[in-house]
Amino acid sequence: MVAKKKKKYSSGEGAQFMTRKAALKKLQLTLKDFRRICILKGIYPREPRNRKRAQKGAGGIKTLYHTKDIKFLLHEPIIWKLRELKVFQQKIRKARAMREYQKMKKYFRDYPEINIDHIVKERYPTFVDALRDLDDCLTLCFLFSTFPSLKRVPPDQSLLCRRLTVEFMHAVIAAKALRKVFVSVKGYYYQAELEGQTITWIVPHHFSFQPQSKDEVDFKIMSTFVEFYIMMLGFVNFKLYHSLNLVYPPKLTAAFNADTEKDLVDERVYVSERIAAMNISVARIAGANEVEELPEIDIFNTEDTDPQKLEEAKLEAEKVKKLKTMFKGLKFFINREVPREPLVFIIRCFGGEVSWDRNHFVGATFDETDESIAYQIVDRPTMDKQYLSRYYIQPQWVFDSVNTRSLLPINKYLMGAVLPPHLSPFVDKTKDQVYIPPEARALNDPNFKPLSEDGPSEEEIEEDSEEEKEEKEESEDEDAEKALTKQYQQEVEQDSQSEDESDDDIDPEKKKLAKEKKKAMAVTTGVTFKENPYQKEIEDKQAFRLREKLVRKKHRNLYKSMKAGQEKRKKDIWLLRKKRRLHDEKVKEENKVEKRKQKMQMLEAAST
Amino acid sequence: MTVIKKKKRVSKKNKAAWRKHCDINDVEEFLEDQRLEERLGKFDTKPDEELFVLDTHGNDVPEEKPDIKPDIKHQTAKQRKRALLPVTPKCFEVLLPTSKVQDPNAKRNHVKPVGSKPSDLSKLTQQRQLVKGVLAKKLETRKANKRLAAEKRKKSKSFRKTYDKNIWGDESLEAKGVPETLIDDFISTEAQIHNVPTTKRLRAKPPPPKTVLKRKAVDIPHPGVSYNPSFQEHQELLQEVVQHEQKMMKREAHLYRVTTGLFSKVTPKEKENQWREEMSVGLPQPHDPTNDPEPEEAGDNEYKAINPPVKNKKKDHKARRKQKERILEKERLKREKIDKKKITDIYKLRKIQASLKDKESRDAEERTKRITKRKELEETALPALNARKPPVKEPEFIDPKQLTGDLRKIPMTSNLLKDRFESFQRRGALAATKIMMKKKRKLKSYFKSGHKVTDQDIDRYVKRSAGKK
Repeated sequence: MVAKKKKKYSSGEGAQFMTRKAALKKLQLTLKDFRRICILKGIYPREPRNRKRAQKGAGGIKTLYHTKDIKFLLHEPIIWKLRELKVFQQKIRKARAMREYQKMKKYFRDYPEINIDHIVKERYPTFVDALRDLDDCLTLCFLFSTFPSLKRVPPDQSLLCRRLTVEFMHAVIAAKALRKVFVSVKGYYYQAELEGQTITWIVPHHFSFQPQSKDEVDFKIMSTFVEFYIMMLGFVNFKLYHSLNLVYPPKLTAAFNADTEKDLVDERVYVSERIAAMNISVARIAGANEVEELPEIDIFNTEDTDPQKLEEAKLEAEKVKKLKTMFKGLKFFINREVPREPLVFIIRCFGGEVSWDRNHFVGATFDETDESIAYQIVDRPTMDKQYLSRYYIQPQWVFDSVNTRSLLPINKYLMGAVLPPHLSPFVDKTKDQVYIPPEARALNDPNFKPLSEDGPSEEEIEEDSEEEKEEKEESEDEDAEKALTKQYQQEVEQDSQSEDESDDDIDPEKKKLAKEKKKAMAVTTGVTFKENPYQKEIEDKQAFRLREKLVRKKHRNLYKSMKAGQEKRKKDIWLLRKKRRLHDEKVKEENKVEKRKQKMQMLEAAST
Repeated sequence: MTVIKKKKRVSKKNKAAWRKHCDINDVEEFLEDQRLEERLGKFDTKPDEELFVLDTHGNDVPEEKPDIKPDIKHQTAKQRKRALLPVTPKCFEVLLPTSKVQDPNAKRNHVKPVGSKPSDLSKLTQQRQLVKGVLAKKLETRKANKRLAAEKRKKSKSFRKTYDKNIWGDESLEAKGVPETLIDDFISTEAQIHNVPTTKRLRAKPPPPKTVLKRKAVDIPHPGVSYNPSFQEHQELLQEVVQHEQKMMKREAHLYRVTTGLFSKVTPKEKENQWREEMSVGLPQPHDPTNDPEPEEAGDNEYKAINPPVKNKKKDHKARRKQKERILEKERLKREKIDKKKITDIYKLRKIQASLKDKESRDAEERTKRITKRKELEETALPALNARKPPVKEPEFIDPKQLTGDLRKIPMTSNLLKDRFESFQRRGALAATKIMMKKKRKLKSYFKSGHKVTDQDIDRYVKRSAGKK
């Protein structure tokens, strides 16, 4: 007997993949339903290694799915629900055609909905998994929350998006999880840290809804994504609220209650409601304390204990701790021309209190006349009535303060001032080996003090020069002290020597012997071991070189090139700094000369 | 043969036998007549016009039907429906009596169905129940049931809006999906989880594609897209945009060169000339002396074929030998050269080694470059999931004139929704597809043949109107 001939593509890559059409046939679904279920279950088309083989010899590019994926879908109970829906759709279609609108209405009322919470659990087995995938979810939900009811989007979807996003923002406020903000042209980028996961999302600028052209985006698909993400965000919110000891669902303003299905027609009213909702603190579970702060980082002796890294981590933790309570106890008043939503969210995130004009928008907590207000945020060149007890600043101060993790000096952000650039906090930290001009450094790091202010006003120059003089004097004083101590030490040494010398001239040889004996027997006073920093450095360097030798041959070239690159970049930075220094000095000199000239001219003018 | 004799006497014991042997035709006929009369009414009471028709024309002349159209007014759909309202529906016509026989029982007593009329006993029990409060309770339960049903319906619709369990929490029964009615201490776990869908996968699901897993959902923005960017960062972004644009332009130019640019353009005049030339091939041309072929010096009038026949001329022995010798000599020289090179190469060994090493190192370098380039490309390459390619990400850039550094006047150029949609495609979560729009049915308009108005018609009309005047 001859063995049965093996058919082509019955194993290997040819059997691994399935075209979309074949999948539709296997699952007995329409394309619409298949698309929906794929999005809900997180099944994506694949790119095969060898397309020709995967397509069973067919040419062109077809959308392929993993056969196992499709077989996995086969067991999904939702498929049966989809088939039920199909029946309902047929009934509705028939009723519409027969003009039996009563019946149609009833069918619409009883239209079954698909419960997909088991899919959320299935796709994200742990909470951390869900958090890791929250970027897309948040961005889409925030985006859809701005939409009015559209043709291909279920009517309750944008309402639900609004509720869930506000709830999430409340969770972030309660957890003090916000870390970075960036105002871009596209929208506000936020970065929060929840359970050790960094989550980045975009909130669009609030303008009126822009009509979307149909041929660019498939609304049906996007709304299916949102359908799943709503479910996910709801459960994430539930978990977050419970871990923060908050009551879920929170009682927000009337507009967000699920019972009132009244749609807020006016977009502006909705926005102000939303902001007002954010200004309320959420109810805590009775008897629950504040969530305890994370303890300080413990040091464990792990294998790669890099003291520098540990130190950095500690510093970072300290900074974050400071950031969390940056605005605590400070009261902010937002003028009506400033976009309130991001500012309220940010300020509340870091413990501040916010209010606005009671007459214009709902939800104000205190009035403008309150004397305890520390900052008033304005976005106009002048104000008629100003209070002495508060600072009038521009909104960018808040964003920049968050990014630098400390309250920035306000002088650059005062009302009507030309703002410094708003820098991105998302720059890669690994690429730190670049020259940063002192201005930028001062923006990033408030503790950094440039060596010499360039281009200040004349008075400042004068002050500067005076200060410098003072400093010089101080340094001279210090030098004098040092000199005195040195002199004293030298004198002491000389004294001891002179004593020795006086002994010497009696009997040199004997004395020598005696001295040696004495030396051997003498009990010298103990000296505390003093580490020579220079010596230590040398030793460390030697050790480092030895370790460098241990780099495997495989990586040696890479290591060498890395080192060379580092050196080069260092040199570049040094060169640029030097250039800058020379330039600054030159400018300063010129300024001085100019000033002197002016003075002379003034004097001459006065004398004549 | 047996003769069937008619029996004189037959038994008429039972009904069937009676019927068989008795002639009751006359009775039946009579009864039939009577019934007919009852149904249709008595003949004697009917007027003659109803029973007879006057034959005004003979048998041979066909009957002329009066050409009277029924007087039907045009009715709207609503009116038609209204008119139909008093008419008994056809489906109920079977239920109506068709015979004219009167109901023998003129006055029928309406018998109420059992239970509809309170009996003495039921009156008593009702009284008792009223006193006991059973009826009130019944009413209450009915209301409650109605409410429950509505609630259930509403709940089945609104589970999307209620998030009331921690699906990642401890394995509580609610989280597992056990229905509320089964959550009780006294219900066995087997019963509880009998119908719960398993969370464990029946089949292992392969991990999602790498592009979906590894690519970030929200890209880190370029610092230059800040609403108030620093000069340097903005310039960097500008450089990126310029590079991108240059690439696109280059591509476009290439496409033009390869497609449209391949074909030379011809002016209409040239085209006509070409056509004229082509069409007049073979036609007698006017004689042009300059175009005359040079007169050949065909002195002798000998015939010459265009392709003279080839003669297979054989080489003689000498020629063959010479050729062989030449080949051998060539071969020998070649060998000699190679041998000589071998000897000299021994002295060149170092150089060769150096060159080999050089080449190897160069190759290795190139290989690593190629590999890194390929890897880089793999990381950023757009997934090919469909015949249509996902759109390339374009850097966002805003004209510095529009950047005012004012939060209120941020120019809106980017569409976030489109950006998200394309991000899905770039990550391979969606296959890039062309959105199919429903086409509007195009109605072809034309004139009914009788209603066409041509120029002639207009002329005629004008003439006629002129003539009238």
